[in-house]
Amino acid sequence: MWSNLLNKILTQLLLVSFLILSTEIEAADNTYYLVIENHVFKPSVIEIPPNKKVKLVIHNKDKLPEEFDSFDLNREKVIFAGKKSTIYIGPLPAGEYYFIGEYHPVSAQGKVLIKELKNAD
Amino acid sequence: MSKLIPLMLIMLLICSYSTATYGDGLVVDKVYHPYVLANEQEVEWRFMSSQTDTYNRLGQRLGYGRSLSDTFAIDVYLIGHRDDNLDFGLSAYEIEGRWMLTEQGQYWADWGMLFEVEKKYRTNDWEVTTGFIAEKEFGKSSLTVNFFIVQEWGDNIPTEMETEFRLKYRYRFMPEVQPAFEVYSGEDFFGLGPAFMGIHRFEGQKQLKWELGFISEVSHSGKDHTLRFALEYEF
Repeated sequence: MWSNLLNKILTQLLLVSFLILSTEIEAADNTYYLVIENHVFKPSVIEIPPNKKVKLVIHNKDKLPEEFDSFDLNREKVIFAGKKSTIYIGPLPAGEYYFIGEYHPVSAQGKVLIKELKNAD
Repeated sequence: MSKLIPLMLIMLLICSYSTATYGDGLVVDKVYHPYVLANEQEVEWRFMSSQTDTYNRLGQRLGYGRSLSDTFAIDVYLIGHRDDNLDFGLSAYEIEGRWMLTEQGQYWADWGMLFEVEKKYRTNDWEVTTGFIAEKEFGKSSLTVNFFIVQEWGDNIPTEMETEFRLKYRYRFMPEVQPAFEVYSGEDFFGLGPAFMGIHRFEGQKQLKWELGFISEVSHSGKDHTLRFALEYEF
């Protein structure tokens, strides 16, 4: 049956993929910082350059956990109370990408503004 | 991650050169994503109905899961199938662990692992699954692949090792409606077809996820279509 052959081929392809994809490509040398304080993101707007992967370090200074949530960025992560956590973003084209704190969506709102930065490399 | 590469390769080599085997379950089920969210609990219902020229297979799962850390989650399932007498009932129970190996977006692709132990109800028949999950984002699209090695043994089933491959291409059109395309391969089955998934958020961490897919077997002559859907409430 050729379904078995297909299964074998897919397995072999995956084997090769593992070899290629397991190479660690450390993402970002650009690090940006965000603070959660009184259930508000500070700053509420982060500007980053287009088509670059960046590292976003979020420090939750509140006594309650918060969940960084963004459909636009395809990211969802719980940041425990008093802890720092890292989210990797991009590479993405220019545009506005909104995010919220899912536990406090009224106050915890922000956006990542991806645009050409004047002082960017 | 690099320490895991030899382990991955050994497991893949073992299964690449294992003999072809024929299993007994529904291959069309669900394409897993490699992510775990801390502080999350979920209840899940999966439904799979496949129609061939001569018979209809029906499978359902009820599950409860929770994350134990920000990288590991555990789920338990009750599995029901329609038997040869056309009676639907509990056929097995299962415990499943999902391990998020890499942070989302950190590397070229995101990686996770899946571990499952399934015991048939009332009989001494077992199934152990180990698998890799990978997902790659391309802007608003993502490609997810699952590769599973399934070992079966027991009093009523032959000892055998199978491989399963699942793939999903998804376009994040809007939270509630995300069109997808899925491929399932394994157990002398190769099927593909359209799917949709979506998510509706309530307050806090509460959200309802849904998936719907229609998969057609394409490697054999004759009809073999599977309708699947899943509802997952996270809280």
